Amino acid sequence: MLVYILKRLGTGVITIWFIATATFTGMHMVPGDPLTTERGMTDNIRENLERQYGLDKPVIEQYFLYMGNMLQGDFGLSFTEENRRVNDIIRESFPVSATLGVLSLFFATMGGILWGALTAIYRNRLPDIIIMFLVVLGISVPSFVLAGLSQFLILNLNQTMGRSILPVAGWGGFEYMLIPSLVLGLSTMAYLTRLMRSSMLEIANSDFIRTAKSKGLSTQRIFISHQLRNAILPVITVLGPSIAIITTGSFVVEIVFAIPGLGRYFVQAVAQLDYTVIMGTTVFFGSFLVLMVILVDIIYGFIDPRIRVQAAK
Amino acid sequence: MSKTLALEVKNLSVEFDTYGGVVKAVRDVSFQLNKGETLAIVGESGCGKSVTVQSIMGLIPTPPGRITSGSAKLDGEEMLGLPTKLLNQYRGKRISMIFQDAMSAMNPTMTVGKQIAETLVVHQNLSRRQAMKEAVDLLARTKIPEPEQRAKQYPFEFSGGMLQRAMIAMSIACKPEVLIADEPTTALDVTIQAQILNLLQDLQKEYELSIVLITHDLGVVAKMAHQVAVMYAGQIVEMGEIDDIFYHSRHPYTAGLKAAMPSNKAHEQDLKVIEGSPPDLFSPPKGCGFCARCDYAMSICEQRPTPKFQISGDHYAHCWLLHPEAPKSERQKLDSFMKSERSDVT
Amino acid sequence: MQDSSLSSYSPKPADFIPLTKQLDKHGISRPSLSYWQDAWIRLKKNKRAISSLYLIIGLLAFTLIGPLLWSINPNLQDLDAISQGPSFSKQALIVETPANWGGVTIDNFPSQPSPNFSGLLSSTEQIEIVGQATTQYVRLSWQPVEGASAYLIYRNDHIPESPEDLGLPLGQTLAGNQVSFEDRLQLNAQAYYYTIIATDGFNEASTFTTQQVDLTLAISARQADLRNIDVEVGATVSLPGHPFGTDYLGRDMLARTMYGARVSLFIGIIAPFIFVLFGTLYGGLAGYLGGSMDNYMMRVADFVIALPFLLFMILFKVSFGIGPGENGIIPMMLALILLAWPGTARVVRGQVLLIREADYIQAARLLGANTFYLLYRHIIPNAMGPILVTLTFAVPMAIFTEAFLSFIGMGVAPPTASWGSMSNQGIRNMLSSPHELFFPALFISITVLAFNLLGDGLRDALDTRMRGNE
Repeated sequence: MLVYILKRLGTGVITIWFIATATFTGMHMVPGDPLTTERGMTDNIRENLERQYGLDKPVIEQYFLYMGNMLQGDFGLSFTEENRRVNDIIRESFPVSATLGVLSLFFATMGGILWGALTAIYRNRLPDIIIMFLVVLGISVPSFVLAGLSQFLILNLNQTMGRSILPVAGWGGFEYMLIPSLVLGLSTMAYLTRLMRSSMLEIANSDFIRTAKSKGLSTQRIFISHQLRNAILPVITVLGPSIAIITTGSFVVEIVFAIPGLGRYFVQAVAQLDYTVIMGTTVFFGSFLVLMVILVDIIYGFIDPRIRVQAAK
Repeated sequence: MSKTLALEVKNLSVEFDTYGGVVKAVRDVSFQLNKGETLAIVGESGCGKSVTVQSIMGLIPTPPGRITSGSAKLDGEEMLGLPTKLLNQYRGKRISMIFQDAMSAMNPTMTVGKQIAETLVVHQNLSRRQAMKEAVDLLARTKIPEPEQRAKQYPFEFSGGMLQRAMIAMSIACKPEVLIADEPTTALDVTIQAQILNLLQDLQKEYELSIVLITHDLGVVAKMAHQVAVMYAGQIVEMGEIDDIFYHSRHPYTAGLKAAMPSNKAHEQDLKVIEGSPPDLFSPPKGCGFCARCDYAMSICEQRPTPKFQISGDHYAHCWLLHPEAPKSERQKLDSFMKSERSDVT
Repeated sequence: MQDSSLSSYSPKPADFIPLTKQLDKHGISRPSLSYWQDAWIRLKKNKRAISSLYLIIGLLAFTLIGPLLWSINPNLQDLDAISQGPSFSKQALIVETPANWGGVTIDNFPSQPSPNFSGLLSSTEQIEIVGQATTQYVRLSWQPVEGASAYLIYRNDHIPESPEDLGLPLGQTLAGNQVSFEDRLQLNAQAYYYTIIATDGFNEASTFTTQQVDLTLAISARQADLRNIDVEVGATVSLPGHPFGTDYLGRDMLARTMYGARVSLFIGIIAPFIFVLFGTLYGGLAGYLGGSMDNYMMRVADFVIALPFLLFMILFKVSFGIGPGENGIIPMMLALILLAWPGTARVVRGQVLLIREADYIQAARLLGANTFYLLYRHIIPNAMGPILVTLTFAVPMAIFTEAFLSFIGMGVAPPTASWGSMSNQGIRNMLSSPHELFFPALFISITVLAFNLLGDGLRDALDTRMRGNE
């Protein structure tokens, strides 16, 4: 198992290096020198930047300097905000995004498994038809529309009730997180529901369920200890990509709901062409996602005996 | 009759609704299994062997499947049409089943020991630990080496033959009266096949098991069976003691099946095949299902369903040739064909 | 010998005439079909997939033929018709281009109340409509009120019942003798209720006068000119309606949705086509070469897959030198192609490996088939199903990506219309005019839905494992 984990981590490190290099290359393809554009940059910032990035040095040297900084976890200084370090931005805003992301992943997974199992049980009957209709909607409606729509509904709800039931935007306690995380997790939930449903149906038709029936096990027992467990496995394998989708989805949700998360900072940084913040957040986000995917893989390895046992050998 | 019946199936008919129409997979099948004996059901793929036994076990998915008539009595108690809850007092406890592909028939994410123990926990109210101990014991009894370790392993760590043994261990866990073996050796190597068959025979003696063996391999039938039922196109065409079927067969299909068996005789150049393919079960023929492929077909075969003719004792066949008024010439043709085959077999 | 209980029929000798064998009699009764014929029949049975197919054809027609039938310039701004809801064709009066209106000031009336005035402010007696009230302007004048230093003007959709019912004032005059007001603020062809309240600077009159004004739809001569309407002032013309309403600049939403579809479907269909093609070639080559070459090639694909997709879409856009607010359809497509091909490559490689090792390929090889024949006859037809399915699912992905990027302002920028950028604008005015978000969002959703359902249908129809199950 340890070898398996180390192997996964090894590929992860290479992938992160690849992401960092691709980011560096991408930023150096930007036509013109970002420093010479007539942006509102104070001399102070310019001096700091030139010192930090060695912009007068050859590209190779700049690359090593950049990689060195990254290795030390130093993402540099903001282009547009004086004396603001990218690390500080990440430190302040990432916990917000992470809270939102974890919550919506929780909703998505729990909802996906629950609805998926339900639709499989009620196959081709009314609950199945209703849920699958909603699932198709969830997959087809873009998240910004859902975000806007839910804001509209909250506003109307508050108006008809005559008091504020749920906040329309902003960040604070759980009541601020509820709707944004649901909106953020909805498409993933829809996707997982579909996956869970087809997985449940496939398992239901499998030979070993037939064996379990021939053993005289009760329907409930077959459902819980044979069908559900095996049906959840494919859902877990796609959690890694789901985290990526939720993370990038948070860009939209954070903008619409005015949540001070990293996604919103990233979008702002791109709008202002704040190169260091773009680079820093890209590498940070990228590494985070890679690590999450690896984490999911490792967890899956523990759950699925076929991988656990083979890895142990 | 001095023998007591372990399982009696009468007039069983099963249909499936499909996109193309209703498939009449099993049509009016009756057979009896004596206590402590083995009944082999033989026939080519798609003839309804598996559907027959699965409907007895209540394993036919409904819908699309549907048992339209018949009864199946285990030691005199009716099993067909029972609600799942009641059926589960028979399944796994008094009648159990093993399947062709053990690898897909076992839960891939549960240890083999636990899957065996599960049956014991459910039917015999054993504690988990007791059941696990018993499971190890059962694995040992099915001659699996290192049963302690094996019990903790998952199906994918077993070889096909080993897993089939484990499956047998699972099926005999509650000492059932009847064991249904649905092509238990088809997916295995010939040597492993023999081991599994020997194991089944040993267990049959030890537990006084009555076995329904489904197979398309006449070699397996010859080794295992006391009684044989030959199925074709959803119907039983001939039934009798093993010697009746092998040496005194009176149905052209049985004859053809035997002729199609490969032999090690030097003078045989080609395998004798039964030409043509089984009828479309969407609309089974009015008369005999085998009629279109039969060398001895007569006009009545197309028109009238074949009645059951008793040949001797327990030996029955469904064929118009056995009618007293059937032309002697046709019967002689069949007899001479049988004779030539018999000399090969013996 | 016969078991009589089972046979009530006693046969006659004529029944026993030997038959000759008729092997084909109960043979396979259904005709044999080619893979694609079979797939097409399955697809046709799938109602959802077929309706999706029609929907997609309809969308293409909407995009390509639509603008020919609905020939309104999608970029024509009409500041008289900002953010209007859906409407149909209507009659409009052509009026003179409004000139500045001096207003009405009564010279022999004090502009400020005399300091010794101590009575209560009364309401004005009557409000007069000056000229014709059209959607170009509403001009009002009224009798001065003694003691007033200014007048507040309110506009409502209903008859106000109390001072609290008035809402916020529309405007205010600056002196007690200024007794006129011109309203040019987003006028619609409907009835308005104008209310004038006199004020002395500290207190407002407790009573008020309300005048109903019915507006006529009108466009100015200059706008008529812009729209090539060659009619005299005072004539009535028929104006095309806005079935989808207008946006925040008064542009016709239907025309913009059609033009937006071009961008969205262009990216949504062309980009997937290219990257699926590239992925197919790449994956096919890797699978065909096999061995260490395959290993290296797929390693590269793995790295590209590991890149966070949308993040790098944005990064690419920045690195192509496209600033925010600048248009980048081609760079966006390029980035999409660069990042999205490995998925297809993986699928195709898997297929090629599978097919390459299949027994029937070995058999064909033994029979002397050359590589080209194998590719043409076996590998491509067999890999075609999964490729087609990948392509169908790639389309909604690309459309979503475009919409997402345009929505956060990183994709198609104004004034070019795309469904994403229209939604971006629409969500800002969502509360006051929901239709601005509704229509582009509806089209994105329908398109994505249609392609998803078609993809599902295709997958089911082309899945060879399912053949013969029916």
